[in-house]
Amino acid sequence: MLQDAAGAVSARAVAKVDEATLIRAVQRGDQDAFEQLVRAYDQSVLRLAMNLLRSPEDARDVYQEAFLRVYRNIHTFRFDCSFHTWLYRIVTNICLDHLRKRKVRREESAVVETADGPVDRMDSFEQEGTHANPERRMWNTQLGDRIENALGDLTPRERTVFELRHYQGLRLRTIGEMLGTSEEAAKNCLFRATQKMRVVLGDLV
Amino acid sequence: MNCDAVVKSIPFYFYGEVAPDAEDAIEEHIEICAPCRMEWERQKALASALDRHALAPSPELLAECRHDLARAIYREESPEVRRSASDPWGLFREAFSSLWRPGIRFRQPVGAVALIALGFFAARFTGTWPAGASLASFTPDAMVSSIRSVQPDNAGSVQISLDETRRRVVSGRLDDHNIQRLLMAAAREQDNPGVRVESVELLKDRGSSAAVRGVLLEAVTHDPNPGVRLKALEGLKSFAADGEVRKTLAQVLLKDQNAGVRIQAIDLLIANRDPATVSTLQTLIGKEDNNYIRMRCQNALRNMNASVGTF
Repeated sequence: MLQDAAGAVSARAVAKVDEATLIRAVQRGDQDAFEQLVRAYDQSVLRLAMNLLRSPEDARDVYQEAFLRVYRNIHTFRFDCSFHTWLYRIVTNICLDHLRKRKVRREESAVVETADGPVDRMDSFEQEGTHANPERRMWNTQLGDRIENALGDLTPRERTVFELRHYQGLRLRTIGEMLGTSEEAAKNCLFRATQKMRVVLGDLV
Repeated sequence: MNCDAVVKSIPFYFYGEVAPDAEDAIEEHIEICAPCRMEWERQKALASALDRHALAPSPELLAECRHDLARAIYREESPEVRRSASDPWGLFREAFSSLWRPGIRFRQPVGAVALIALGFFAARFTGTWPAGASLASFTPDAMVSSIRSVQPDNAGSVQISLDETRRRVVSGRLDDHNIQRLLMAAAREQDNPGVRVESVELLKDRGSSAAVRGVLLEAVTHDPNPGVRLKALEGLKSFAADGEVRKTLAQVLLKDQNAGVRIQAIDLLIANRDPATVSTLQTLIGKEDNNYIRMRCQNALRNMNASVGTF
């Protein structure tokens, strides 16, 4: 057991060393290293952007803008925080900007008109745990709509903190660091977000 | 710990964000207090419902994002260059790199984009060039020169700065034959990808000229810089039905090391169907290690009612 734990710590240390080597290579202008770095993180970045923004187009924009910022600014990365924290700080900042703009121009409809008729943009997403049973599907659709509403009621910051804690599994201390705020403030956001969602989803969960 | 404190702590307890001693106190309380236990159950149900409605990126969306990023990166300069941006060369490269950032793309050849490019042509021109030269007195074949810059402006002209014993600037319209000849020479400038990419950008809408098309084909086949190759491919888009262009595209598809270039080549090839394309795509599937490109080939072959493999 102790050996397993030691092994895990050692594997993490090796991974960190490898990542540091990779980052230094990117800082020297190594394009292949940059691609490796992108591939190590891009799925979680896309997932974060999608769950935060609930729009494939916006998630795609965030993906590109975030990694271009990394590419342009990697030389300023000084290893005083983890690369993961640095990257997520960039991603969450871009997502927060999107969410704030959206709040100003009100929530967009998920349904867009196309040449083939109305299409729900959310169809581009694969929803986890979909069911074949029609009744179950209907219930799920209802719950899904309510979840969308509940998430829409959160402030951009509450939504970001909730996403990072619930879906990304980050510690509140790290979230505070990413968002340039305190752990306590992140904790308050998480509490408010949870309470709001429980109010909206109350009878369904 | 009383009920009020427990209820307030439940979300943090759920996420493992309470101290170990508080954790013990909450667990003990939940064990004996039915209303708080119900709160705990509701918290778990909420989390479970949210988990079921988490969104996961489709592989296609991820592949598209990677493709878009690859294309955007080709328009960027190496980050290493920006680190040394304090010296004049670094400052130049810094300024130059900004030209390729999204939103600043100059699709139109007349776009007003300044470019100060270093690098030299190897004595392609012989003869003399009068002081204060204008295009009227310019004969590219009649001077010994290096080209320092290619600078288009909003009015549909381009200024080309040349070195002989000292630098001179010539300007003229893009449809001017001599300007085009200079741009074609610039597109082959070996030591300076900046000049090459700018020149190919300016030439790419003039592929109806066989000479320009030849330069684009040469760039797409031989230029070491993927950014230049992608630009040249853009210029060949309107000629994707031309036999020579298709032959080159097939070569590029099978030989180019850059995935972005290969993807662009597929797009151009499948825009016009022919039996040779089927064979090229089938060959590519057998050797391609990029999943997205293999998927594109498979889709294209299916659309052409062709088999995915060779037999």
